[in-house]
Amino acid sequence: MTGTRLESQVWALLNEAHDLYRDSPRASRWLEHHVERFEEPLRIAVAGPAQVGKSTLINAIVGEGVAPVEVDGAKDAFVWYQDGAVPRAALHSAHESVTDLAVTRLDRWLHVDPPPGTPEDLNEIVVDWPTRTLRHTILIDTPAVGVSATATPTGQSIMDRVAREADAVLYLARRAPGTELNALRIIPETPVSRAAPVHTMVVLSRADEIGGGRIDGLLAAKQLARRHRRDVRMRALCLNVVAVAGLLAEAGRTIREPQYAALANLAAIDRGELDELLLSTDRFLGGADSVATLSVRQDLLNRLGIVGVRLATTLIRQGCGDVGSLASQLVRRSGLAELRESIRQLFVERRGLLKARSALLALEFVLRAEPRPGSDRLMAELDHTVAGAHEFRELRLMAALRSGRTRLPAALEAEAQRLIGMEGTDVSTRLAADEQATGAQLWTLGAQALDRWLEHAENPLFNHAQQGAARTVVRSCEGMLAELAG
Amino acid sequence: MMVPLWLDVLDDTIRACAAQSRADLVHQLQHKRAQLLDPKLRVLVVGEAGQGKSQLINAMLNAPICAVGDDSTTSVPSVIQHADTPCAALVTGPTAVPDRDVAATERVAVPIEQLASGVSGAGKYHRAEIGIPRELLTAGLVLIDTPGLDAGWANGGGLDAAWVGHTDAVLLVSDANRQLSDVELAFLAYAIRTCPHVIVALNKTDIAPQWRKVAEENRERLADAGIPATVIPVSATLRLLAARTNNRKLNTESGFPDLIARLQHDLRTKSESLAPHTARTIAGTVVEQLCVPLRARRFALDGALVSNAASDLSEAQRQLDDLRRLSSRWQNSLADRISDLSSDIEHDLRDRTRKIMRRVDEVFDSADPGAVWDTFQPWLEENLLEAAEANYGWLVERSHWIAEKIAASFPGYRESVIPESAFRIEHDVFETVADLEKPNIGRFTFSQKVYTGLRGSYGGVVMFGLATSLAGLPLINFVSLGAGALFGGKSLKDEGESRLLRRQSLAKAAVQRHVEDFFISFSKDCKDVIRQVQRKLRDHFSAMAEDLQESILESARTAKQAADRDLTERDRHDRELQRELEDLRRLHDRANALAVVPAPAAKAVAA
Repeated sequence: MTGTRLESQVWALLNEAHDLYRDSPRASRWLEHHVERFEEPLRIAVAGPAQVGKSTLINAIVGEGVAPVEVDGAKDAFVWYQDGAVPRAALHSAHESVTDLAVTRLDRWLHVDPPPGTPEDLNEIVVDWPTRTLRHTILIDTPAVGVSATATPTGQSIMDRVAREADAVLYLARRAPGTELNALRIIPETPVSRAAPVHTMVVLSRADEIGGGRIDGLLAAKQLARRHRRDVRMRALCLNVVAVAGLLAEAGRTIREPQYAALANLAAIDRGELDELLLSTDRFLGGADSVATLSVRQDLLNRLGIVGVRLATTLIRQGCGDVGSLASQLVRRSGLAELRESIRQLFVERRGLLKARSALLALEFVLRAEPRPGSDRLMAELDHTVAGAHEFRELRLMAALRSGRTRLPAALEAEAQRLIGMEGTDVSTRLAADEQATGAQLWTLGAQALDRWLEHAENPLFNHAQQGAARTVVRSCEGMLAELAG
Repeated sequence: MMVPLWLDVLDDTIRACAAQSRADLVHQLQHKRAQLLDPKLRVLVVGEAGQGKSQLINAMLNAPICAVGDDSTTSVPSVIQHADTPCAALVTGPTAVPDRDVAATERVAVPIEQLASGVSGAGKYHRAEIGIPRELLTAGLVLIDTPGLDAGWANGGGLDAAWVGHTDAVLLVSDANRQLSDVELAFLAYAIRTCPHVIVALNKTDIAPQWRKVAEENRERLADAGIPATVIPVSATLRLLAARTNNRKLNTESGFPDLIARLQHDLRTKSESLAPHTARTIAGTVVEQLCVPLRARRFALDGALVSNAASDLSEAQRQLDDLRRLSSRWQNSLADRISDLSSDIEHDLRDRTRKIMRRVDEVFDSADPGAVWDTFQPWLEENLLEAAEANYGWLVERSHWIAEKIAASFPGYRESVIPESAFRIEHDVFETVADLEKPNIGRFTFSQKVYTGLRGSYGGVVMFGLATSLAGLPLINFVSLGAGALFGGKSLKDEGESRLLRRQSLAKAAVQRHVEDFFISFSKDCKDVIRQVQRKLRDHFSAMAEDLQESILESARTAKQAADRDLTERDRHDRELQRELEDLRRLHDRANALAVVPAPAAKAVAA
């Protein structure tokens, strides 16, 4: 489909710009970097205010305790997690780099010993970690973003850096909407980034604390996220809002037999007694050693939180007979699965688009920063690409529908969103077909959709924006049919 | 009963505000004064959305009064106080906060259960007022539940800052899972300026494993920010559970007894401790506020070194100097220009008369003065008159120009600066010149012609008569007679021509004399006029310069007086401001000296 065309267009633009700026070392280094980046896995940054659970979420996604990485004297460094054959780390400052360092696991996080003479002002730590989950993505752990009502200069610069380095952003917040989201509202005004907030997802990351730690708090959090997803103000900021109990998710991914055994012991004691014990963290830690030693209880509390312990013991009582089923229940309830699905649909499947977007942003930056004869033409071509690419048109429509700028009748709006790939970009998702649907069935569905939307595009009762939206949907349908035919 | 010291200070502060015509502060302080005298203790429960403010109130009173939910639930502030029977009302007032001067306009009584499930039509009402019978409240505790600090974005109606002025103590509710945020700290820093009693309740200690560490960090952050707040960790969940199960131990664990003890202590000692403390802070804040404009005014006084009067004075002096410089300049200029004018005018007149003379010469080279004299004389008079007029006209024009030039160099230039009388010529120019007399040119009379003809013919007759007598002819014959006639005719002609020439030269000389006389006389007149103009202009401009000088001196005098007056006025004003500032400083010192009974440190909560 056109995805490859957009990518090839952007690729050609990048190479052309590289030729143009051959004699400018800075610009050509920048462009070479982006040519390389275009081929790399998708970079997803995890950003947010302090103590919101950024590292916890990374651990939950990776499925192992990898974050935070402890390096002395690296406070404001971005930490990159990428797939690698052996665990090792590289440290970068603005001027120097130290590579191939050993990574050791300390208790629950990683530790890197910087060799003597390593510069103090590290700004990047790249960790290679052998894991399947990082095959298609690079995760970036970022320093905390300031939350004050007026974004602090440092907070802003961190979001700027995030915008520069990452192709997509998971923005973590305790609550939405709220002051924690202020950093998201600083949107650079360029034609490319104005197209739509297509690269941001808001994660309500401490969902287990919502509702004051009630056992059904997680369900409430999910409903809350659903409600915010429909909120026009949130739609203008991000693609999606997902509630995740980071601690539970991490625990679900990393729980092992000893912890399970301890939890099972806890679950085995008298119900009333257990409830008493789990009333508060103080009671839990202050309880008798008869069931579990203090260190075990402390470990459980650190891993699961009191809410997690309550949930886990309840689950065990309800019949989670082994560590595997408990883990899967915890993961299911934590909302991690939805988050991963969302990441897959909105980020990984749109990899080409997001990469193209990043490349176009970088290109735009160079063309603006160093204008020269010939850059005008490239700028025009860039504008042409941004304006002409159907993916961007789909994204713009998506943003318009999300923010309520363009409204379609309710039934049509849902179908339009599906057809332009809001729920996923593969043909069967767009057509809402079964996963087992054959090519012929898909073709029929697609042709029907095309016919319907051709009519909508001509609907005299629609206003200009609505007809435009319908035409974009028609183009999407044609694209699908072309893909099916090809 | 003796009036408490703090009340004195507060009243003085109010008077100081009134003296500075700060009606807004007066109103605010009077409100605060009434409030501090009131035995009730108003506690504003604030915090970011979702920290459990409403839950905390519910737990404290052990009653589901305030709406509790997962999202931002509280949408209107609720004022909760004691009542014998449970009652509730939604109130719309002209101001968001209760004001003793302004009566609420609308009160809608609602069942109390309805409030617990959330207020509908939140935008319509400004607050809810709830009364319930609770032992805790009977002593006069009033709790005010508020929407989240950052709820403005979510619900379109955040916490109205005016509420802070309406309370005796601020109870900030914060989640024990995290440190105090910048927003919370900023709010507290704002609140302590008018309401120094601040308690931070760390809620949700039941689910926060690190709450002790967080509490410690928060205490440090508060101390760093200079906020004298007590941190009390609580757990609303445990308190509610304790109340349900009537479990004393759990109640103690919830931390609420500490919080309630603290509030009750504040309530009991309100007049001894809280009121002086608040009065001291608020008086300090207000006095500082009052000092700012005073200081600015003093600074402005110092800065305004050159007042209007002083600048006027220096301006006048400058003008005087200018004038002095000018007077020597314009006199020189006048003399120069006048001598230029006089030479130019003379040259012009000479030029014009010479032209006339040339024309006269041309005429008399050909014409017979005797024949044309009668027409010539008027022509000459006319031409001379014309030349004189042109010359004189030019003189007048040039004089005007000179006058204008000089006038322009004066600061107060007026159009009609040259007196027209300067150009009056006393007498007729032409009267002084004698009339052109017709020169005695004589006439070629008939007898003279006969005589001349005979004298000429005589030679011819004799010459040719002698010659022809040789041929035998008589002396007088036709030949000799013919020759005599010829010769006579010629001599007659010659004589006529020479007489004409003489006449012409006579006429020329006469005219030249006349013209010369005219020139001398007229140029003398012109020179007189020019001198006259010069004198008049000099007198005129001198007078004008004197006038100017006089007026400048006058303005300089008044400016000097004004400057002196200004200086004394400024000194007086400065002293006044200094005195006011001094008063305010004393007030500030008195406020600071108010004996404040320190609030009891919160007891360490038993683990």
